[in-house]
Amino acid sequence: MRLSLRQVEVSYAGPAGASLSALGPISFEVAEEEFVCLVGPSGCGKSTLIRVLAGLLRPSVGAAYCGDELIDRPLPHIAIMFQDTNLMPWRTVLDNIALPLEIAGVTRAKRYQTVRELLPQLNLEGFELAYPAELSGGMAQRVALGRVILQQPRVWLLDEPFGALDALTREKLSLELLRLRGRSRQTIVLVTHDISEAVLLADRVIVLSRRPGKLIADIAVKLPRPRSADMIYQPDFLRLAKQVRACIEDQRD
Amino acid sequence: MLNLIRIIALFALLSAAISSAQAPLVEERILLTFVPNVQFAPFYVGIEEGFFADAGFDVTLEHLQEPEVLDLVAVGQANFGIVSGEQVILARSRGRDVTYIFEWFQQYPVALVHSDALELSDLEQLRGLKVGIPGRFGASYSGLTTLLSSAGLTETDIEIKEIGFNAAEVLCLGAVDAAMVYANNEPLQIRNLAAAGDCGEISDVEVVTVASQVDLVSNGLIVFRNLLDAAPESAARMAFAFKAALQSAINNPASAYLASLKYVDTLPSDESLVAELEAAAERQSEFLASNPDRAAVAESRAEMLQLLTTQIDAGVLTQFQVLLNTIGLWDADQLGVSDLASWEAMRDTLGLMGFLGDDLGDLSDAFSNEYVLDSGE
Amino acid sequence: MAESDLTPFAQPEKSRAIAHGAILRRLSPLATVLVLILIWHWITDWRLVSRILIPPPADVLDSLAAALADGTLAKHSTTTLGEMMWGLLFGVSIGLAIGYAIAKAPLLEYILSPIIVAFQSTPIVAYAPLLIIIFGTGPSSKVVTTAVIVFFPTLVNTIVGIRGVSPRLRDLMLSLNAGRWQIFRNLELPSALPVILAGLKTSTTLAVIGAVVGEFVGSGSGLGVLVISARSQYDTPLVYVTVFTMTAIALSLYSLVALLEWRVLLWQRRSA
Repeated sequence: MRLSLRQVEVSYAGPAGASLSALGPISFEVAEEEFVCLVGPSGCGKSTLIRVLAGLLRPSVGAAYCGDELIDRPLPHIAIMFQDTNLMPWRTVLDNIALPLEIAGVTRAKRYQTVRELLPQLNLEGFELAYPAELSGGMAQRVALGRVILQQPRVWLLDEPFGALDALTREKLSLELLRLRGRSRQTIVLVTHDISEAVLLADRVIVLSRRPGKLIADIAVKLPRPRSADMIYQPDFLRLAKQVRACIEDQRD
Repeated sequence: MLNLIRIIALFALLSAAISSAQAPLVEERILLTFVPNVQFAPFYVGIEEGFFADAGFDVTLEHLQEPEVLDLVAVGQANFGIVSGEQVILARSRGRDVTYIFEWFQQYPVALVHSDALELSDLEQLRGLKVGIPGRFGASYSGLTTLLSSAGLTETDIEIKEIGFNAAEVLCLGAVDAAMVYANNEPLQIRNLAAAGDCGEISDVEVVTVASQVDLVSNGLIVFRNLLDAAPESAARMAFAFKAALQSAINNPASAYLASLKYVDTLPSDESLVAELEAAAERQSEFLASNPDRAAVAESRAEMLQLLTTQIDAGVLTQFQVLLNTIGLWDADQLGVSDLASWEAMRDTLGLMGFLGDDLGDLSDAFSNEYVLDSGE
Repeated sequence: MAESDLTPFAQPEKSRAIAHGAILRRLSPLATVLVLILIWHWITDWRLVSRILIPPPADVLDSLAAALADGTLAKHSTTTLGEMMWGLLFGVSIGLAIGYAIAKAPLLEYILSPIIVAFQSTPIVAYAPLLIIIFGTGPSSKVVTTAVIVFFPTLVNTIVGIRGVSPRLRDLMLSLNAGRWQIFRNLELPSALPVILAGLKTSTTLAVIGAVVGEFVGSGSGLGVLVISARSQYDTPLVYVTVFTMTAIALSLYSLVALLEWRVLLWQRRSA
């Protein structure tokens, strides 16, 4: 599904009635099946942008669309995944992954069966009955990933999903994400502060300015797919990474 | 000038000599029930007018629940306390050895109150009616049992409602047909409510006192057993001092009310009331100088009230009226004396209630008139 | 009432069960009780304190046997327990409902908190007589005193519990298009449950106080009445029996909720 932002601005009521601008105005499109990474200095409004796309936040000005549909509430075919794994501590791995099916009204037997079929791909076999607190960070994030997969979304919004993990785990999970995405080819918007990660995963890297975030660069990544970890040593990759870094650093006066 | 200083110095020396010659006062706690209230006026008079001090006591007053008063006197944490006679019988039947040496209330203070619309000519007509009592304990319950038994009824013949100490409200709401109350207090309050139209459909009430049916032993002074054994003259002095204070309160209620002001925070003390009472107290003491008899004093109290009602707002005067009503329950030819029959009547009532423990012993050990009779000489 | 005022009553404790320690810990309260009874026995045996004030344990035991045999204790306990249960039912349900509403609509807090705080900070003993006048002298007024006293811990802990629900999980539920009921059932309730159950534990112990305070003011039956009536008959052993019965009832209810907590909050123990 195609995503588009049209002149989106988000502002909050600040102290003494002043209005604090958090984002925009910003416009861009994400084509169907495209993988876009959003990078930018911290506090630039990346997460705000994701929340607008997720329908969790109404923009003060402008609008966001999924296909032709106005995003004015959470849409069922758009899934969101946060930096903290955002699991329910009182639910087992099985029940956490199965949550979207449960909300959709799927019977218990059916949803457990679906989850059990998915577990091997997530490397979570044998942990069905574990609680989130008993899992490592990487495992917990795979549970969250499994939950998103079960939602069968057409659009994935990923807000620094692996930000809390160490570099190696993060890289491994990023590539796993690409693999799991497989042939279904959802549209993905991923927020990251890791330039290598952005270039390694994305079809396009969008660079935001400092607060309030505006689009300052839109860089196409023409690397072949499937991607692999050793690509990061290739000259093409390095050139792109350097270009992105330059865009970010340009605005640090 | 020098002379004046000499005189003052001499005077100071002299008064110091006199006071050191007096025996130091013995500190005594007297345990009372309820809360500070104008009904305890004799004790305030005893302190304020020096009756206790003259007998060699420095008295402090404390308020507790009745069973606590009795237990603390039974174990000697205090030498003196005020409880009702029934408590003495009950406690003695459960191993508390206290002695009752002075009957303060000559009439059992509890009464049945009901709307005059009920037209209760005979207590037998209580059958089937709802009667409110604070709970199945204490003087109200004993009083009700006695009233019922005097009419040949038992409590199964009526419907008892435990209403706490809320008789006025509950009766006015019509939730009970009658209620057990203190004769000196609630009827007055209910009449005031009714007069103001705040008592539901009740316009006036009638009062049936327990005392009008049966003579039951009532509130009085109890003493720690060991004190009686070791220092009986001390108990006699206390009885004597209290008798004098009580007589003073009976004779001059205006003065007693004024003495109570310091102890009872909620007592109305408007300037005009205090001024009128002070004048009344002075007139009364002049009148008392002529040694009037008991009936004449009672008449003078009625006149005092009549005069005050013309000068003071009725609401402000309520507590003074309560005091006068209560004096009616105290007054007797021979203050302090209780007779065996009233103890026996109480014992029988408690027996009916099934409250008596196993070792009641001899009832005549429960009380003694010898201290009050001694002290009178 | 700022959020910081709403400290939950007794945080749910986290403890890892280590076999030995757990057994010892279970037994230690029992040992304490035994030691206390022994000390009590000696105090009365050596007559350090008059038996009028503190009766010997043996007398209390005899009195207990008698009160059990003639059904006195059962009758009054049933009354009090009944009042407590109804009071808990009403007080806790209303506390949950209003607490939930306040947690969801902060404006309500501004409107209601003066009334609620006033109710809570006024000693119930002081206005219990008024409740008796309004709700009658029967069990209903005791149900009300109980409900009033258990209401507040439930309310506060519900507010704290519901406000403590992770906003990110809320977003997740919204993005899954979960309905109001689903959000309540699958997110708010399980998330707030530990705090709410901790409040319920406090409430159960307070329920005894509520019922007994109501009975003290005026009642025909119940443990509060039994205490007053035993006291007024100078039957001190029976007073002790009644007081211990109240303790036992409070402890049993508390344990019941603790057991429920143990069953429901398995994840918390595993997560510790």
